Amino acid sequence: MKVVYTDSLIIGGGLAGLRVAIAARQRGYDSIVLSLMPAKRSHSSAAQGGMQASLGASVKGEGDDEDVHFEDTVKGSDWGCDQDVARMFVNTAPKAIRQLAAWGVPWSRVRRGNREVVINGEKVTITEKNEAHGLITARDFGGTKKWRTCFTSDGTGHTMLYAMDNKAIELGIPVHERKEAIALIHEDGVCYGAIVRDMITGELIAYVARTTTVATGGYGRLYSVTTNAVISEGIGCAIALETGVASLGNMEAVQFHPTAIVPVGILTTEGCRGDGGLLLDKDGKRFMPDYEPEKKELASRDVVSRRMTEHIRKGKGVPSRYGDHLWLDITLLGRAHIEKNLREVKEICEYFLGIDPVKEYIPVRPTQHYSMGGIRTGATGESPTLKGLFAAGECACWDMHGFNRLGGNSVAETVVAGMIVGEYVADYCQTNPLRIDTKLIEHFMDKEKNKIRAVLKRSKGESPIALKKEMQQIMMDKVGIFRNEADLTQAVEELKDLHQRSRNIFLRNKISSSNPELVEAIRVPKMIRLAQCVAYGALLRKESRGAHAREDYPERNDRDWLKRTLAYWKDENEDLPQLEYEDLDVMKMEMPPGSRGYGADNTIHHPDTEKRMAEIEDIRKANPKADRFEMQQLLNPIELPEKFRGKNERIGRGFN
Amino acid sequence: MESLIVDEKIKKSRIPARLDLIQSGTGLILGLFMWVHMMLVGSIILGKDAFYFVAKFMELSFLHPTGEGYPAVVFFAVLGVFTLFIIHAALGVRKFPISWKQHAILRQQMGMMKHSDTNLWYVQVVTGFIMFFLGSVHLYVMLTHPGQIDPYLSANRVINHNMWPLYLVLLFAVEFHGTIGLYRLCMKWGWFAGKNPVESRKKLKRIKNRLAVFFLAVGLVALLVFSVIGIRHKDRVGEPYKPQAAVEKTLLVSNSSS
Amino acid sequence: MSEKERILKFHILRYNPQIKGDTPTMKIYEVQEAPGMTIFIALNDIREKQDPSLQFDFICRAGICGSCAMIINGQPDLACRTLTSKFPEGEIKLLPLPGFELIGDLSVNTGKFMRAMSERVESWIHDQDADNVDLDRLEERMDPDVADEIYELERCVECGCCISACATKRMREGFLGAVGLMRLARYATDPRDKRSNEDFYEIIGDDDGVFGCMTLLGCQDYCPKDLPLQIQIAYLRRKMAMVR
Ligand SMILES: Cc1cc2nc3c(=O)[nH]c(=O)nc-3n(C[C@H](O)[C@H](O)[C@H](O)COP(=O)(O)OP(=O)(O)OC[C@H]3O[C@@H](n4cnc5c(N)ncnc54)[C@H](O)[C@@H]3O)c2cc1C
Ligand code: HEM
Ligand code: HEM
Ligand code: SF4
Ligand code: F3S
Ligand code: FES
Repeated sequence: MKVVYTDSLIIGGGLAGLRVAIAARQRGYDSIVLSLMPAKRSHSSAAQGGMQASLGASVKGEGDDEDVHFEDTVKGSDWGCDQDVARMFVNTAPKAIRQLAAWGVPWSRVRRGNREVVINGEKVTITEKNEAHGLITARDFGGTKKWRTCFTSDGTGHTMLYAMDNKAIELGIPVHERKEAIALIHEDGVCYGAIVRDMITGELIAYVARTTTVATGGYGRLYSVTTNAVISEGIGCAIALETGVASLGNMEAVQFHPTAIVPVGILTTEGCRGDGGLLLDKDGKRFMPDYEPEKKELASRDVVSRRMTEHIRKGKGVPSRYGDHLWLDITLLGRAHIEKNLREVKEICEYFLGIDPVKEYIPVRPTQHYSMGGIRTGATGESPTLKGLFAAGECACWDMHGFNRLGGNSVAETVVAGMIVGEYVADYCQTNPLRIDTKLIEHFMDKEKNKIRAVLKRSKGESPIALKKEMQQIMMDKVGIFRNEADLTQAVEELKDLHQRSRNIFLRNKISSSNPELVEAIRVPKMIRLAQCVAYGALLRKESRGAHAREDYPERNDRDWLKRTLAYWKDENEDLPQLEYEDLDVMKMEMPPGSRGYGADNTIHHPDTEKRMAEIEDIRKANPKADRFEMQQLLNPIELPEKFRGKNERIGRGFN
Repeated sequence: MESLIVDEKIKKSRIPARLDLIQSGTGLILGLFMWVHMMLVGSIILGKDAFYFVAKFMELSFLHPTGEGYPAVVFFAVLGVFTLFIIHAALGVRKFPISWKQHAILRQQMGMMKHSDTNLWYVQVVTGFIMFFLGSVHLYVMLTHPGQIDPYLSANRVINHNMWPLYLVLLFAVEFHGTIGLYRLCMKWGWFAGKNPVESRKKLKRIKNRLAVFFLAVGLVALLVFSVIGIRHKDRVGEPYKPQAAVEKTLLVSNSSS
Repeated sequence: MSEKERILKFHILRYNPQIKGDTPTMKIYEVQEAPGMTIFIALNDIREKQDPSLQFDFICRAGICGSCAMIINGQPDLACRTLTSKFPEGEIKLLPLPGFELIGDLSVNTGKFMRAMSERVESWIHDQDADNVDLDRLEERMDPDVADEIYELERCVECGCCISACATKRMREGFLGAVGLMRLARYATDPRDKRSNEDFYEIIGDDDGVFGCMTLLGCQDYCPKDLPLQIQIAYLRRKMAMVR
């Protein structure tokens, strides 16, 4: 039995995983990163649009600060987020971006003087200040009050990931590539590492560590059409679920991005609309202002996606052999802008659609894009139920996104969470020496070995690829943008059936070393379980919140549903996850539930909302001299690691 | 201070940099020299007198009191070029595929990609290899017969001493090698890249092709003219050319003394 | 799109070094073409319907991550963004990228190579203060044009096409290759990296480094991201040749 020991095991080499590894390494703990692929190929590299941080250097970002960012994030989440975490996040984001700047990300910078931009379909000249020249600039993104999304042309994720991985290489952090974690080792509520399969040799290796951090990204591939990479299959979440001890939070919160190209689902960045692109219907009419007069194309993603779907349902979509779609028009931005700031978009249009977006409209449709849900963690990133297990990034339900995340808040989360959780991981390493019985390792090892053996031995049964396709279709058709009781009930039943069938997977290609079919065989049952958590959670949540839109319950229901869904899979033989709920405490909210200012407002309010509003009012009155920092401390006191507590400087206003 | 000394010790040798510069420098000089060389030799196309004039001019006849020139000048010029040639060749050989395995990989790669610039490099290697022998012979001949460049003697060499096959091959070799080499020099050091390097490269490649055609044409016609002269002059091998007009001579003399 | 009912013939190199005694063979697969079909779609189709053991790497399937480079009819390119309609004859020959450790069939270990490359050129900002910057303060300013320029050089996706397209690299194992030179040029351009020309010389100042490049320009012509490799290698060469 091959066993590898380390202090801090990180499963996932995307932005979040690498940042945690760096934090632990810098505190002196050995870290090993596992990844399915070279770390630089992680899906973080696909983020084109940008990273939100309230630097407020660009003139259109003036007046921005943590508070505005906080407000946008909470509204974006439809009050579904954890406000402590959102606070920790917004306060740390400027530091994260500045650190990345020091580590080599070539953030696009403010250029002094006049600059022509497209706002609301019209060319406008804005004048950047002299003093801001050379600071990190920002662009407009959906759901934000200020221009806050920092970027490097259209390769933000790429440059961030490269800088991050290069930093990890500098620190000598080993990244064990083509290794897949397939189970967590745990006992009595403590996690001790993972059983890992070498995808080349097929060998199983036990990685034993003081802390285990899951940072495996999203699970978009539960759906048949998604913007996500083909490896975004959620295995990290699934192995946490399979412990029976850790839980997954808000799995039903799945985001659809308004503008992925048809049919393949490759994303065109929100930057297209942020920079002034418009959505048009089959008559060439700009329809978003009719639905969202205030924010138009730049309402939050859940809203725009739903409006697009509504519009298509009204028969305004452009028919095609792949179903109806709408147009994204960026021709008005001009060649120079597109070739510089939206080049990846241009390449994608050229290569996959054979069109020139400088001259032609892009066929787009809302497509699965982001998983707000994931491994439930507390504010430190640790699972509340499984000690020593941490999660960060898209796979985590750290819960700063609630039911809808804002564009640009995700890569920001990966890095910020990486910084913060990384410190807590190091703290845990410091206080918890590794004590583990090899019997326990053997037990988990044998279990996985036997599972694989059984699959290899079976001479007939289900094809894993076929099962996966069925699952993806069910999710797409019945657990999509708009949801309803009938579809969801069906989905839950059908998935249950798939889950049973998945116990009977058989392979045509019976080798245990590198074998793509075996990889599927290991993953598919796990993916089906995740899909069940999503579908079942969606069925039970009888309200509409953020990305979770129930046609039969169109209102946001704070009274009954201001709570987080927690999914457990306590008994392996069960065919459904067990759902529990965790209340969001209005009385602790810095910003009690209200209207988002876009989308329909038909909220059923929580009884505490008014009470909390009054309380906040009292606190404000009682502390008339308190500045915004003191106020925040009073309303929402948060814990941050010492090094991230400082105030952030901004041009023109210093540290205020 | 101490760290400085350590730094000094681990410092990487600067020789590779120098060798690269020398390789390119010698290549550049040889490449440009060959333009001049082909123009000079090509003067035979304009007539024997023209060639004679050029040959004598090169021997610095205009400095000579009787206009006979100093063959030693040619000797030293050849010696210089020969030296450059040898240095350049010695450095070039380093880049050759040194083992059969390397050569096989190169060929396989070329067969797979059919990539023009890689193929061009292979042409350079092959032509370089050829010149290694033929060029040496030519230079050796020139070195040992400094005073014997004139329309008849040269034509004799071409035809009666059977140099023409060598010249024919050498001509193609040197023109391909030289023009490709100069193009590669621009690529290698980023010369003439301008604002749009991709466009500039296309342009330079076009220029390279035209130059090759031009110099090949000049060389071939010159070789033909030498051949014709050589065949006509067959029965008087070894007899040097006598310029017809004494006027010319006086002109030259007066020219040089003024 | 008119000839959409074509049957495509894929000639694919099959070899699994994990299986003892396996030898490389070319196998032919027939696939019905669909509109907008890419090699990514076709290969998945083959894996699903014909041969579940076929190995290849795709991640982003959008031409962004650089994992799917292979030799397509003799040319190194990203398979995920290569449309089958590009090949009028309907014959597509696929080979794994040469110059890398073969994992199996069309899958090669570019990751290992690139990590070694990064370590060799020390692909990170060298600045003693980088870890002590005060994260609360305004970031250090950078000229917007310089930032853009660095980004241009950082668009490399480590796909490995430039390595496979370089006969020099293929002949000489030790040669750094275009991707490494490019990476170094990126840091040489970056004012945040405090390394001097002498420092860079220590890394690439020999015939395994910039002086080993014979300007074959395969890298330039096959880089799927159109990075300015020729110009940047020339820039490094000038810089390094002048180091005293
Ligand atoms: C097309 C696209 C564009 C986007 N654009 C933006 C944007 O502009 N702004 C923004 O903020 N967000 C954007 N996002 C979202 C954002 O990119 C992701 O949420 C974020 O990068 C996720 O990072 P991560 O570190 O959590 O995971 P990832 O980067 O996905 O990394 C996951 C890692 O886990 C590894 N892994 C997975 N499973 C296993 C396993 N079982 N064993 C071992 N290793 C495993 C993988 O190899 C990989 O290294 C975009 C997303 C997409 C799909
Ligand atoms: C024995 C004869 C010769 C040999 C073996 C030889 C070999 C080579 C080789 C191998 C190269 C490629 C170097 C590289 O890729 O780095 C080269 C380049 C070059 N050669 Fe030659 N060569 C010879 C003679 C000549 C002659 C006579 C000329 C003049 C026309 C010439 C001009 C050039 C030029 C201009 C270059 C480009 C320089 C460079 O790449 O640095 N060579 N030679
Ligand atoms: C200083 C050195 C050189 C001198 C003085 C010189 C001189 C001459 C002369 C006089 C001729 C005419 C034929 C003859 O007289 O035999 C000639 C022809 C030729 N030389 Fe040179 N040469 C020199 C260097 C070279 C070099 C380096 C090369 C290439 C490697 C070269 C290639 C040729 C070729 C190809 C011809 C035939 C041209 C034709 O008629 O088409 N020469 N040279
Ligand atoms: S330089 Fe170009 S070809 Fe080479 S690895 Fe980078 S992207 Fe690929
Ligand atoms: S192909 Fe190779 S030889 Fe140099 S110019 Fe590119 S690295
Ligand atoms: S799969 Fe990512 S570039 Fe092709």
